[in-house]
Amino acid sequence: MSQPPSAAERLDHALDGVLDGVTPVAAAATAGTEPYGRPLVLLGADLRRILVAPPVAPRFEARLGARLASVANARDPVAWAMRHPGTLLVTGVGSAVGVGVTAYAVWRSTRRSSAAARLLHR
Amino acid sequence: MTGPLERRAPRMPGVDPDLADVRDAQRDPAAFAALYRRYLERVYGYCFYLLGDHHDAEDATERTFIAALGAIDRYRDEGASFRSWLFRIAHNQLANALRARSRQPTTRLDDVPEPVATVSDPELLTGLADDARRVRAAVATLSEDRRQVIVLRFVDGLSTREIGEVLGRSQGAVRVLQHRALRDLAALLERES
Repeated sequence: MSQPPSAAERLDHALDGVLDGVTPVAAAATAGTEPYGRPLVLLGADLRRILVAPPVAPRFEARLGARLASVANARDPVAWAMRHPGTLLVTGVGSAVGVGVTAYAVWRSTRRSSAAARLLHR
Repeated sequence: MTGPLERRAPRMPGVDPDLADVRDAQRDPAAFAALYRRYLERVYGYCFYLLGDHHDAEDATERTFIAALGAIDRYRDEGASFRSWLFRIAHNQLANALRARSRQPTTRLDDVPEPVATVSDPELLTGLADDARRVRAAVATLSEDRRQVIVLRFVDGLSTREIGEVLGRSQGAVRVLQHRALRDLAALLERES
């Protein structure tokens, strides 16, 4: 058998209703908070009405927006590469040189081992 | 300013309304701007109500969004919603800020704007403004964990499950905190009146 909801749970259900736009009296009645919890539901409705978020200073909003935009751009590798084509070129040349050196080393070692094998078979 | 109904994202069980924007931001970090615009005011409100100072709140908000953008690739839709994840980052930033303060934080909530009034009666308006001041002063006296729950619930519109994910507590524990915080506030406001 399930436990009946606690007073805190009934109050919470009533406040969910208030926050969804139900009148406090109706929300309290539906959630079964009467009579003890009803003043708390009414107080919750008052808090919702009274406790407004303070306005954000437009200058702060613009400054933070600009900072976030610059962080976002820095995180986008394609956008970053487009802004720094020189770095992209150097990285590309570096990679090509690395691949060339590796290929040459592999070719040399293959050539040496086949020459050694030929000497052994003579 | 965001109205009370707009402050609460539509709740559809199992569906994170931010997920499409999160996926976009994971592909292209510039798309994070949509999430920034959606959550700036809420994150800032959370930081302000906890720190009580505009400058400190801006600092914590900035750190939160920079950290969120840096970690957006690691966000996975595994139960916790994006906004829980974001507020969890904000919660960690707030914990750092509060730790860094050598003195006990003094929460100055006097310069929070008055709620948008929908009445034209000047006497009623004055009464509403007085009520707002009393309520904000009472919230500022709550212990930090209870204030966190009240702010996340009624300023940011998070569910108790989401608040649990932010604070690293069970939903049951958050419900109890919420119940106690409201009971304390009610008693305090009754004593004053």
